[in-house]
Amino acid sequence: MDEIRNEIMNIEKSAEKLKALAKDNNAIRKNAEIILTFLYILKFITPATD
Amino acid sequence: MEFWNPYTETLPREKLQKIEFSYFKNLLAYAKVNSRLYKDKLKGINIEDIKTFDDIKKIPFTYKEELRKWQEDVDPFPYGGLLGIDITNVSTFRQTSGTTGKPVYVPESYESWQWRIESWCHILYMAGFRPRHRVFLPFGYNVYVAFWEAHYAAEKIGCEVVPGGALDTKGRVNKIMELKANAMCGTPTYLLNIAQEAVSMGIDPKSLGIERALGAGEPLPEATRKRIEATYNCKMFDHIGSTETCGFAGMCEAQEGLHIVEPFFLIELLDKDTLSKEVSEGELGVIVITPLGRRSFPVIRFNTNDVAIKGPSTCACGRTSIKLMEIVGRVDDISKIRGVLFSPKTVEQLIRSEFPEVVEYELVVTREDIMDKITLRMEADPKLGKDEAAEVAKRLGERHKIKTNLSCKVVVEPAGTLPRYDLKAKRFKDMRGKH
Repeated sequence: MDEIRNEIMNIEKSAEKLKALAKDNNAIRKNAEIILTFLYILKFITPATD
Repeated sequence: MEFWNPYTETLPREKLQKIEFSYFKNLLAYAKVNSRLYKDKLKGINIEDIKTFDDIKKIPFTYKEELRKWQEDVDPFPYGGLLGIDITNVSTFRQTSGTTGKPVYVPESYESWQWRIESWCHILYMAGFRPRHRVFLPFGYNVYVAFWEAHYAAEKIGCEVVPGGALDTKGRVNKIMELKANAMCGTPTYLLNIAQEAVSMGIDPKSLGIERALGAGEPLPEATRKRIEATYNCKMFDHIGSTETCGFAGMCEAQEGLHIVEPFFLIELLDKDTLSKEVSEGELGVIVITPLGRRSFPVIRFNTNDVAIKGPSTCACGRTSIKLMEIVGRVDDISKIRGVLFSPKTVEQLIRSEFPEVVEYELVVTREDIMDKITLRMEADPKLGKDEAAEVAKRLGERHKIKTNLSCKVVVEPAGTLPRYDLKAKRFKDMRGKH
């Protein structure tokens, strides 16, 4: 599960960067936000237990 | 055994509890800043003082009446002080059915809606819905949340969804046959109505090919669940939820109680009289629920007013979540008639288990002078003659007296005269004090 959590964090960084890069492009920014929505859920369903 | 999320669904209880406690504190901190309702409710509470699971009880309950109050004449319209996000981030409007009063308007953001859907995926997967299923959803696609979650969750787990809105019951039977749909979701009442309509069209409901069905919106007594299974030759599952709380528990293949979807929800089952002590396994408790990841509409320690029997946290399926063994009904469904405690669910159990000849019924309580009077209006199977229907009515009256300790007058009504319901059935009408 640690590896999965790390990968989620990596994708989150990329999606945030994508969103920032696309501040003048509605389509790309919105799709980056949607990726971030699903990352919120991915983090919620992979909680650390220690 | 297959799980939707094997990681969270099989975590040891103490780990689940730890996660839920941490999510609960995050939600408190979020709601205190972003929801006007909770800014007000939590103003005397320092979140850092919530250090143990027991400390959760320091947080006041949220009641439905409060939700209504915080929406009346409070900006921003129409969500008022319940909104937990900027209104420009609301993506969908939903509202409660208004069964118990003014409807509550519920804002969902894209994130919150997807969070609900993820929770619902657990419910459908537990009930055995898989990509091989073509799921027919016979409900009016409108402002009520009803089966919208089922629609999106079924898509997410890979099923093929057939939206069955804007059709009458006959049209729905035809569409199920035309497309060979093999799974369905509906209120128990409506699933039985569809079967009855099929019979009136000369079609055996068993021949429709429905393998699995999931009920919602009404209590599902075991006798009704079995009747639906026998009617369609399918497996019938139950779930519980509401617009305010989302769907929070579902039935697995073992078909013994409902698993709470953890760690999406923090559930407390509290002693009905004190509302402070957690009940033990086998005892009756009021369901208090907190959806732990929905930020558009934070609801903390929502007192559902539903009463359930607490089950074990072990199950043949291997899930470790808390189980509700039986949803007994609403606290306010249980009323006193002639000094005797009466639950309409007892009558439903009786009719569904012993009277297959009764196709629809309604219970009406009135007061004449000082005496409460129960009238049980029933429709008999149209195949029965007048004398046979009268015989069924006589037996039903006798059995009602034995089961409830209350006598009633049973009236046989002509076929098709009693109301039929697509969503929540209202078969119990307490007219005392209304005339």
